[in-house]
Amino acid sequence: MAEKLLEIKNLKQYFNQGKPNEVRAVDDISFDIYKGETLGLVGESGCGKSTTGRSIIRLYNATDGEVIYDGVNVHDKKSKSDLKIFNRKMQMIFQDPYASLNPRMKVLDIIAEGLDIHGLVKTPKERKERVVELLETVGLNREHADRYPHEFSGGQRQRLGIARALAVEPEFIIADEPISALDVSIQAQVVNLLKELQEEKGLTYLFIAHDLSMVKYISDRIGVMYFGKLVELAPADELYKNPMHPYTQSLLSAIPLPDPNYERTRVRKSYDPASHNYQDGEEIAMREVNPGHFVFCSAKEFEAMKALSRA
Amino acid sequence: MEKILEVKDLELSFHTFAGEVKAIRGVNFDLLKGETLAIVGESGSGKSVTTKSIMRLLPEHSSEFKNGHILFNGKDLTKLSDREMQKIRGKDISMIFQDPMTSLNPTMTIGNQIMEPILKHRKVNKTEARKVAIDLLRLVGMPKPELRIKQYPHQFSGGQRQRIVIAIALACNPQILIADEPTTALDVTIQAQILELMKDLQKKIDTSIIFITHDLGVVANVADRVAVMYGGKIVEIGTVDEIFYNPQHPYTWGLLSSMPSLDVEEEKLYAIPGTPPDLLNPPKGDAFALRSDYAMQIDLEEDPPFFQVSDTHSAATWLLHPDAPQVEPPLSIIERMKKFPGSRYFTGTEGGTN
Repeated sequence: MAEKLLEIKNLKQYFNQGKPNEVRAVDDISFDIYKGETLGLVGESGCGKSTTGRSIIRLYNATDGEVIYDGVNVHDKKSKSDLKIFNRKMQMIFQDPYASLNPRMKVLDIIAEGLDIHGLVKTPKERKERVVELLETVGLNREHADRYPHEFSGGQRQRLGIARALAVEPEFIIADEPISALDVSIQAQVVNLLKELQEEKGLTYLFIAHDLSMVKYISDRIGVMYFGKLVELAPADELYKNPMHPYTQSLLSAIPLPDPNYERTRVRKSYDPASHNYQDGEEIAMREVNPGHFVFCSAKEFEAMKALSRA
Repeated sequence: MEKILEVKDLELSFHTFAGEVKAIRGVNFDLLKGETLAIVGESGSGKSVTTKSIMRLLPEHSSEFKNGHILFNGKDLTKLSDREMQKIRGKDISMIFQDPMTSLNPTMTIGNQIMEPILKHRKVNKTEARKVAIDLLRLVGMPKPELRIKQYPHQFSGGQRQRIVIAIALACNPQILIADEPTTALDVTIQAQILELMKDLQKKIDTSIIFITHDLGVVANVADRVAVMYGGKIVEIGTVDEIFYNPQHPYTWGLLSSMPSLDVEEEKLYAIPGTPPDLLNPPKGDAFALRSDYAMQIDLEEDPPFFQVSDTHSAATWLLHPDAPQVEPPLSIIERMKKFPGSRYFTGTEGGTN
């Protein structure tokens, strides 16, 4: 657990930089991901959680900051072959299982694309065998290899997306809302599959989602994002039991639970960014309030939170 | 309480190239005045088709009412002509759709869109209709309605657009409001605001709501009664407490157990195995039997009838037959039943819950 796999340092991702319509999608965030853990990233749409994932895997070139994977900066200039080695270690599962599979390719070719690029299989027979093996890993079977994506249901397609990501034997997988488009009962199947694969293969996940109850279930630690900033980062249980940032509190208080008695008494808190009342020149930063529990706050708020958590 | 809508033995099929899809296979329910009835189920269970058939929004050439009635104010909606239906749609019964991004016309100002049903169904002139539209926008919590009424949908956020859709639906004080996954496309915080708004408005204008969703948290929040649909049928119906704390059908058990809870530690999440049934060739007997751990021989042979659990609660499962063996529901369901007076697992003292 203690070994860092990934360090994100002051990552910034601005779109339309320098123009009047500049968007600071990710604004100076830093966190680490440890080997073998699942880090959940939650927040409202537009808060920058998907952009963070995409910048980490270099789908976007970061505006500023570093993403260090196993000691190597991802965003450094790299030769094609270096990039290939890196691409093999890091894979992504996308949100929409309908849009992320090429409708004109057979499942066999979709899953084998990574194998071909990295030259991992020598003969067509070996290629087929490897794909079948991957299909079986995700709970599908041999017959599915010769079909097209439209012949599959949403849950099955997401399994194909997972099989494709696993094909090159990555160490780290970014799952960008992998279950948001699926039905409740199918969501549970996919989440269980992801958990099993993690145990079997020692994978590390960055799990991006807006469904907070699923995130808690799958994650070891959770980061909460708001308007391009990481506002709180804590172990999953700790975050739910003891949310400290007012935005996290409001987000948690908004989740409806399948429990009518709880729902009758639930009080929703709303978050007003102006309530912090930050003064000019006040330094606002991630501060460790409890061991492993970081909150984005000013020095004054930090003291107040510390006092509160001691009491 | 007064019944406002009665759906009886409704059966509906779609004619497709592959054959006849039996999307609704005998649905019965009543809607009472002022209540919120939630319909839950997986995609393809028939929940949207049921409500669209009430609104008569299904394509006439490919869909067919095979049997049953939908009685509203003494009229059978399945028999009405298009012209008669147009007088009801948007006036007595109106609908909120899932995706606020696509259910508004991008080329019309929102003012004109809100005024459309008012001008059609109420005897008012344009100036008055505009006044009503502004009032409606204010009612759904839109700031500066006089200004915003001249704007186009793209100038609004997702939550605001859903507020506008609600304003349109409420324009003629409908007796029934059908909300088809109204918050699924929205963030949790916006979802909470929209749900609060809907509950608030329901109190103000005393309308009945049919609420379709697959989010059980939302159901627990808004519903008075819940109907669980599976494979084109209602498999269990009861008050919200009965469904959440004393569920009887194995499918309801599966649905409730596959939601992770925020306070209980679980090692593995329960996942209902398999996939929903193919309604081109609906399975014989209980449609859920093939995915159920509790299936008995009879489930594969004969359709279970509804067994009455209480005055308000019934479920279609052979497990409730007096001759059926007593089975233990999943652990998380037993935990729920402990909170329900009248269940055999109830542990609280008399009247001591809540």
